[in-house]
This record gives sequence, C-alpha cells and structure tokens, in this order.
Amino acid sequence: MAPAAGARKHNIKEALLFLAALGFMMALPMWLPNRFYIRLVNEIMIYGLLAMSLDVLLGYTGLLSFMHTSYLGIGAYITGLFLMHVAPGSLWLAILVAVAATMLVAWPVGWVQVRTGGLPFALLTLAFGMMYFTVAWKWYSLTGGDDGLMGMPRPDITFFGLTLASSGDSHAMYYFTLIVVAVCLLLTWRVIHSPLGAVLEAIRENEERAAFIGYDVRRYKLLGWMIACGLAAVSGSLFILYKGYVGPATMDAFAGAAVLMMVLLGGMGSLWGPFVGAAIFIFMQDYISTMTENWEIFVGAVVILLVLFMPKGVAGLGGLLSRGQKA
Amino acid sequence: MGALATVVDLILNSLVLGGVFLIVAIGLNIIYGLNRVMNLAHGSLYALGAYAGYTLVNLGGNFFLTLLFAPLVVGLVGLVIERVLISPMRARPMVYTLILTYGLMFVMDGCLKYFWGKETRFIAMPEFMTQTLSLGPVQYPVFRLVILLAIAAVMGGLMLMLGRTRMGVNMRAAADIPEMVSAVGVNLRMVQMGAFVLGCVLAGVAGALAGPLFTVYPVMGHGMLISSFVVVVIGGLGSLRGAIYAALLIGVVQTLAEFFITDLAMVLVYMMMALILVFKPRGLVGEGKFE
Repeated sequence: MAPAAGARKHNIKEALLFLAALGFMMALPMWLPNRFYIRLVNEIMIYGLLAMSLDVLLGYTGLLSFMHTSYLGIGAYITGLFLMHVAPGSLWLAILVAVAATMLVAWPVGWVQVRTGGLPFALLTLAFGMMYFTVAWKWYSLTGGDDGLMGMPRPDITFFGLTLASSGDSHAMYYFTLIVVAVCLLLTWRVIHSPLGAVLEAIRENEERAAFIGYDVRRYKLLGWMIACGLAAVSGSLFILYKGYVGPATMDAFAGAAVLMMVLLGGMGSLWGPFVGAAIFIFMQDYISTMTENWEIFVGAVVILLVLFMPKGVAGLGGLLSRGQKA
Repeated sequence: MGALATVVDLILNSLVLGGVFLIVAIGLNIIYGLNRVMNLAHGSLYALGAYAGYTLVNLGGNFFLTLLFAPLVVGLVGLVIERVLISPMRARPMVYTLILTYGLMFVMDGCLKYFWGKETRFIAMPEFMTQTLSLGPVQYPVFRLVILLAIAAVMGGLMLMLGRTRMGVNMRAAADIPEMVSAVGVNLRMVQMGAFVLGCVLAGVAGALAGPLFTVYPVMGHGMLISSFVVVVIGGLGSLRGAIYAALLIGVVQTLAEFFITDLAMVLVYMMMALILVFKPRGLVGEGKFE
C-alpha cells in the first residue's frame, strides 16, 4: 500500500473515533445523575484543552512549561474584566479579546524564553509564571487580589444574532464548552498534521539538524509557544464562563504541576491523551481531596511514580497493547 | 535615620540577601554541572534546612552547632534522593528529571506541612545576637552581621574545597570532561553523588542561616527556588563565577525594589532578568564555566 493511502486510511479512522467521542459527549448529560457531574465533566473538558495545549508544546516541540495555567489564568482574567467593564453582553468578542491579549502578553515572554535554549526555557516559564501570580495576587484594584475576580455578568450564548441560552445555565455551558473544545481540537489536529507540525517534530527530535537544513529554529519554537498560549487562553475564557469566578490560586505553582500531571497521565505526544489524563486527574482529585488534607503529597508521589515507571502514560499503554496484538 | 545611614543599611541588606541567594544557587549549579539535573526540589531542601535548625534549637541545641548539624540532616536526605530517584534516571532525557524533581518538591512541601504544621515559626537566637551594633552612622542587628560572616566562611570553605582537595579537583574535572575522569580511574558515580549531596548540604546551610533572617514556613522554599533560578539563568547555567555576580546583582536590585515599591518588587526583578537575557541569552558569563 502506498504510504499516502495508508495515511488517509489512518485519518479516516481518527475522524471516525473523533465523531464517536463527540457523539458520546453529546449524549453524556442524559446519563449523568445530576448537575454536579455535568459541571465536573465540563471542568474536565476545560482542563483537557489546557493539558492538550501544554502537550502541543511538550510532546510536539519538546519545550517544557511548568506554569501553563498562567495563560489559562490570564485568559480568564481578561475575559472577566472585559465582560465586567467593557461590554457585558458580548461573549464571542470577550473570548476573542482574551485570546488576542493573552497572546500579546505571551509573545515577548516567549521571545525571551526561546532565545535562552531548552533548560533555561523551562526555568523561565516558572519565573514568569510566578510573576503573573504575584501580579494577580497583589494588584488588588484590578484583579481583586486574594478574593479573585467576582461579580462577572453572565452573557447570553448567541450564534449569528440568535440567542441560544444563558451561559449561567450548566447544560448550556456544557454544550458550549464541548463545541469550542471540539473546534480547538480539530484546528490543533490540522496544525499538527500540516508541514508546520512536521517541522516542530523535527526540531524536537534533532534541533541542530533542523537548523542545518535551514529552518529558523527559534521562530518555529516561538510559533509553537504562541499556539499553546492561544489555546490556553481559550480554556481560560471557558473556565471563567463556567465558574463565574477566577482567583490567583488558579495560576499558582501547584496548579501548574496538576496540568503537567494530566499530560503525563495521558501520555505525551498524542492529542487525546491529555483529555484522558484530565479526566483521571479531576475524578481522583474529587474523591481523594475529600478524604485527606495531604492531597499535595499524593499528587507529587504520583508524578514521581509516573516518571519512574510509566513515562509514556496511558496513551503509551495503548501503544504497547496494540503493538502486542500485532506481534 | 539619615540618608547615609539608609544607604549603608541597604548595602548590608543587599549583601545578606545576595549571599543567601548565592549559596542556594551555587548548590543548584554544582548539582547541574556534574549531574545535568536541575533540581526543582532545591527550595524544599532549603526549607528543610530551616526546619531542621528550628527543631534542633528547640531541643536545646547551641545555635552555632545547629548551623553545622542542620545541613548534615539535609545532606542525608539528599543522599537518599540521589540513590533512590536521581541515579536510575541518568540515561533518560533531562525533561524527565525536571518533572520528577517537580513532583518531589510537592511531596517534600507536603511532608513539611504534615510534620511541622502550617504555622509560621521563629528561630530563637542567642542573647547577644538580638542586639544591634553601631557601625559608624548605623545601628545594625548583630545577627545579620553574623550571617554575613557565616556566608563568607561557607563560600571560602567551598572555594578551598573545590580548589585544593582531591574531591574538589575531581569535581571540576568531571564537570568538564566526565569521560576523561572516568578513564583515569576515578569513580565517576561517586563524584556525581558527592556533588549532589554537596549541593543539598549547601541548600541546608542557606536554610539554617535564613531561618532566623526570614521566618520559617512550609512554602518558604518556593520564592527561594525561583530567585535562585533567576540567579542561575542570569549568571549562566552551571557557571559558578556567573552565580556570584548574578546573586549580588539580584540581591541589590531586590533590596532596592522592596525598599522603594514594596508590593510588586519581584516584578521589577523579573523585568531586569528578561532585559539581561535579551542581550545575553546564555547568561552573563556563559554556560558551563565550572570554576
């Protein structure tokens, strides 16, 4: 079989899987016993999108961001501030502004980070992340400080002038999140499977060789960073619409570790893995944090064990199984 | 207080702060230089040093003996970490040890909270150290001067150790060309392990010194970890001389920023870091100058 035909067959299989997953998620609220679980699944989708955006950076370009929640936080704050002070009714405009503004913040930071190389890049994401956290925490008059941003209006979800529902309704918010996340997933899939995605993977595998062939490595890394931050900003918009509130704890170091753990759980370098990781993590958090105060130790220990014994995550487990079948 | 007094006060404060940053950052650099591991649990080891000091003083230990023993406790923990977690990871890409030590940081912070509680602790000091000494125009707290002397002593000892002892020579050589050190019959694994433990001991020293200086609380290591990253990145990864310049610079800038604008002082420090990295992406001295 020609490789192109094989790739197309693979694409069709992936498209069918995607549609099946979408259909399942559409129908899921019917089986969920109450609003609490609908909101929990909603949160999983939002964090899944964030984890996927981190995985685009980590799994496809090999760059590590410790505080990717920062960009979720920035997106959420900007969405909230826009809805509170500029235009209380314009939901779509708020999301667009949040994504644009977050990318405006991320661009110079990414530019500096990319110039320093691999390891300093990771350390700098931590330093800049703490900087954002400090600003969100201390700039009381703008962000509400420790209390967070409260009193955000609930805009209606509209589509080309048609008012569908209020974003305060958890069912409506669930479907809104599902559609936005699905669109983001499709766009990301398209980027990863474009020539740009191939270049990013080439840089991850062998940076020097990619540079020798003539690719401007720094520019491509910056591009990967901007894509990841833009997606994180979308998840931030969804986050504040779903919660109606955002506080500095959303973007502290521990939250950053949680997202990293979702990616590790799901497995690096696959787009669906992070969603599985987010689902496992948020269900675990929901159960265990009610039982013990030492949730932190537990998360840390799981991260250590994952790195030691299961570095490829659940997605890697799937790969292992399918390889076993073929052999 | 007159203007001159304020200036002297600020200079001394900058030196103390920069000195603590320096000891933590040099520990990170020594570990990185020999193990190619960036230890994200370093801030937690620093906090452990402070808590160990607190407990030893509370048990009736002499303050100065505590400064010796608390780092040893941290060194012992470091040895266990190296054996159990770091050494199986040597063959893997660096991303994995980064994430691993990140997990370790949360485990250690959680343990600190579990064993010592969330309350802020204060380390009791000997009588004479709570007084002030008049230095020309200023009244300066004695304990800050003692800490400054201790930092100088630690750095002097470290220089002697790296410059004159066999272990130190091995370490410097192994940071340059590990294969060669291995080839002349030195056990490279032992040198790497020694460097890891030495780095942890330094974190413990900084913690024990900083305990009375700042207050002791479970996440005290986070801020220190970030600051020492800033120092390491500005100075150049793995560069000991770079760390010295960078630590003094950050000490001065942070002290001044806290004096003039208080709340958002750290933002100014990060801005300066970004500015330096724009012009010197590999740090002030460049990477890997282990001397």
